[in-house]
Amino acid sequence: MPSTPLNRICYVEDDEDIQRIVRMSLERIGKLTVRVVSDPMVAIDAIKDFKPDLVMLDWMMPGMDGPTLFRKMRETPEVRDLPVVFITAKASSAEMDELRAMGAAGAISKPFSPKDLPDQLRSIWSALP
Amino acid sequence: MDHAKDAAYLDLASTAETPVSAPPVRELADQRKVFADQVDLLFRHSPLGILITIVVGGIATYELWGERNNELVTLWCLMMLFVGAARHLLYRAYYRRRGGDHEQWLRWFAIGAFGAGAVWGFAGTVFFPAHTDAQQVFLAFLIAGIVAGGIPVFSAVWWVYALYGIAIIAPFTYILATYGSSQFIELAVLVPLFLAVNISIAMRLSRVFADGFRLRHAYAHLGQDHSMLNAQLQEQIEELVQAQREVEASGRKLALFAERAPIAVFEVDRNGTILEMNPSAENTFGYSSTELIGRSMIRMLIPSDEPVLSGEWWKNFVADAHPEAGLKVRCRRRDAVELICEISLTPLVNDVGELISVITQCHDITRQLEAERLKKEFTSTLSHELRTPLTSIIGSLQLINTGMLGDLDKDMAELTTIAERNGQRLLDLINDLLDIDKIESGKLTTFPESISLDELVRESLVLNRAFADRFGVRMALRGEPPSLVVYADKKRLIQVMTNLMSNAAKFSAEGGLVEVGLERVDNMARVSVEDRGSGIPPEFRSRIFGRFAQADSAATRQKGGTGLGLAICKRLIELMGGRIGFADREGGGTIFFFELPLLDQPVAQSE
Repeated sequence: MPSTPLNRICYVEDDEDIQRIVRMSLERIGKLTVRVVSDPMVAIDAIKDFKPDLVMLDWMMPGMDGPTLFRKMRETPEVRDLPVVFITAKASSAEMDELRAMGAAGAISKPFSPKDLPDQLRSIWSALP
Repeated sequence: MDHAKDAAYLDLASTAETPVSAPPVRELADQRKVFADQVDLLFRHSPLGILITIVVGGIATYELWGERNNELVTLWCLMMLFVGAARHLLYRAYYRRRGGDHEQWLRWFAIGAFGAGAVWGFAGTVFFPAHTDAQQVFLAFLIAGIVAGGIPVFSAVWWVYALYGIAIIAPFTYILATYGSSQFIELAVLVPLFLAVNISIAMRLSRVFADGFRLRHAYAHLGQDHSMLNAQLQEQIEELVQAQREVEASGRKLALFAERAPIAVFEVDRNGTILEMNPSAENTFGYSSTELIGRSMIRMLIPSDEPVLSGEWWKNFVADAHPEAGLKVRCRRRDAVELICEISLTPLVNDVGELISVITQCHDITRQLEAERLKKEFTSTLSHELRTPLTSIIGSLQLINTGMLGDLDKDMAELTTIAERNGQRLLDLINDLLDIDKIESGKLTTFPESISLDELVRESLVLNRAFADRFGVRMALRGEPPSLVVYADKKRLIQVMTNLMSNAAKFSAEGGLVEVGLERVDNMARVSVEDRGSGIPPEFRSRIFGRFAQADSAATRQKGGTGLGLAICKRLIELMGGRIGFADREGGGTIFFFELPLLDQPVAQSE
C-alpha cells in the first residue's frame, strides 16, 4: 500500500461527456485533483507535466487506443512506473485478464457508477504494493 | 425316391458350401441302390432261367422215360414244374410290388434258386445210378451244362449261384464218390473243383455287375449334380447381373451426388494425385478437371507452408488411413486467391486394408468465416457504441441523484430517478442480450475455480441488499450454511445469484422476507432462494426459463427486468455442470434453486 493517499489523477479520454462526468465524480465526490487529456497523442507529455499518482485510460480512442498508449508509457522512463487503470466497455473477463497481464493496476468496466468511482479507484490504489 | 432326391440335394448343398475334391465313385453311389439293382437283375434273368429249366427238363424227361422208375421220373418232372411255377409266381409278385425290402426279395429268390438246384441235384442223384451208360453220359453233360448255364442267370449275386450250384453238385458228387468206380471217384473230386471254378467266375461277374451299377449310379448322380450346379450357376449369374445393374445404378446415383453437390469433391490416390473431381471442385478452385486430373492435389491447391495435408502430414494420414473431418486448411485458387476450406478426408480401403483412394471433400468457408468475423465485430461495436452514451446518461443522472449538486424539487427528483432506473434497465438488457448471444453461439467461456459456496452466498446477500431495500424486502440466510466447495466460475455464479435474488425481491410484497439457503443433496450442493410472493402463474411455468419470459408485461414496467435473466441463469448453470429449477413454497411463494456437483477433494483441473 502506497504511503501517501491517492490525490492526483490523470484521465485520458476522448468523449467529452464522459470526461465531464468523471471529473465531477472525482472532484466533487472523491475530492481528488483531476487532469483530463482528450488527445492520446499528447497524453505522455501531459502526464509528465502533471505528475499524477495514478493514470486512467480509456480503451477505445481515435488515433491511439488505450493499450497502445499504455505500452508507450512503459517505454517512457518518467512515466513507466505509474499505476494505470483502464476504463473499458469491452468488459469480458478474458480481456481484463489480458490487461492485468500487461501490468495494469486495474480495470473498471463501462458504464461505471460515478457515485462509486472514487471508492473503486481508492481500493485499487490501496491494493498496490 | 423322394428321400433319395433330398439326399442328393443335401449332398449338393454340402459340397457347394465346402468345395472338396470329387469323392470316389463308391461314395457317390448309394450302396443300397446298387444292391437293389443286383436283386433286380436276378429277377430280370429269372424268366429265362425258368424257361431253360422247363425246356431242358422236358428233354431230360423224354430221354429218361420208358426204361424204369417212370413214377420217379414223373415225380421229378412234377417237382421241376412246381419249382418253376413257384419261381414264376415269385417273379410276378416281385414285379407287381416292385421295390420294398430287397433283402427279403433276395432271400425268397435264393430259396427259389436253391430249390431249382435241388431239383437237378435230385435228378443226378436218383437217375444216374439206375440208368444206362449212355444215359449216364447224357446226365453228366446235362448236369455240367445246367451248372454252367446258371452262371449268367444267377451270378448277379454270387452266393445265390453258389447255393444253386451246391444244391446240384453236392448230392451228385456223393453218388459219384460212392458208386464204386475209380473213374467216378476221380470225377467226384473234379466236379466240386469245376463248381468252385464256376463260383469264382460268378463272384467275379457279380463284382463286375456291382461295379457297373455303381458307375451307372455315380454317373446319374454326377449328371444330377451337374444339372443342379448348372441351375445354381444360372441363378447366380442372374443375381450377379442384377447386382451389377444395382451397382451401376447406385454408381450413377453417387456420381450424380458428387456432380450436383455444392461442395468440392476430389478422389485422389495414395500420393495425392487427383483421379476424379466434381464440377463444384472446378468452380471452387477455378481449374477445369482436365487441368487437374493426374496432378497432385497437394501441390496444386495447398500452399507449401500449410502444415496440414502437405508432406509428412499426408504420409502419416496414408499410413493410418483414418478418416479426418473438419480440417481448416488454407487453399490456393487458380488466381492465387487464398481460400479457407473445411476439408474432410475419407480413405477407401480394400478388404486387406490397403488404401485405394481418398475421397476429399472441401467446403469453402472463407465467406462464412468473414461473416462470423463481421458479426463479432458488429456485436463488439454495438456493445461499445451503446454503452458509451449510456455511461454518460446513467452517470449524469446518478450524479444528480446523489444530491451533491444541490437538492432537487420532489417531482424533478422522482423523474431523474425514473430516468436513471430505466437507463440501468436498458444497460441490463444490452448486457443480457450480449450474454445470450455469447452463450448460444458457444462463445461464452467460463473460468471455473474452487469456490466456497457458503462464502459466495454471504457475498451475494451483501451485494443485493441495496436492491432489496428498494422494494422494502428483507433478505436473510436460512439457517447456518454448511461449508461446501464447488468448481465453478465465480463471477457467473454471482450473476446467477443476483438474478434469482433480484427476482425474489421484485416479486415479494413490501416488508416481505427472502431467504437464501445452502444445503447438501447427495453429491450436489443446492442453493435456494425463497420468496413469499404470489407464486408463479400455472400458464407461465413451462416457459419460465425461455427467452423474454415474463409473466405479465405490467410487472416488467413496474419492476424492471429484461425477461432474459432466468434463460441466462439456466444456460450458465448448465454450462457449469449443474441444473436449475423451481418449486412451490409451502405457505405461498416460490423456491428457485440450482444444484452444482460438489468438489469433495481438490481434483486436477482439466483446463
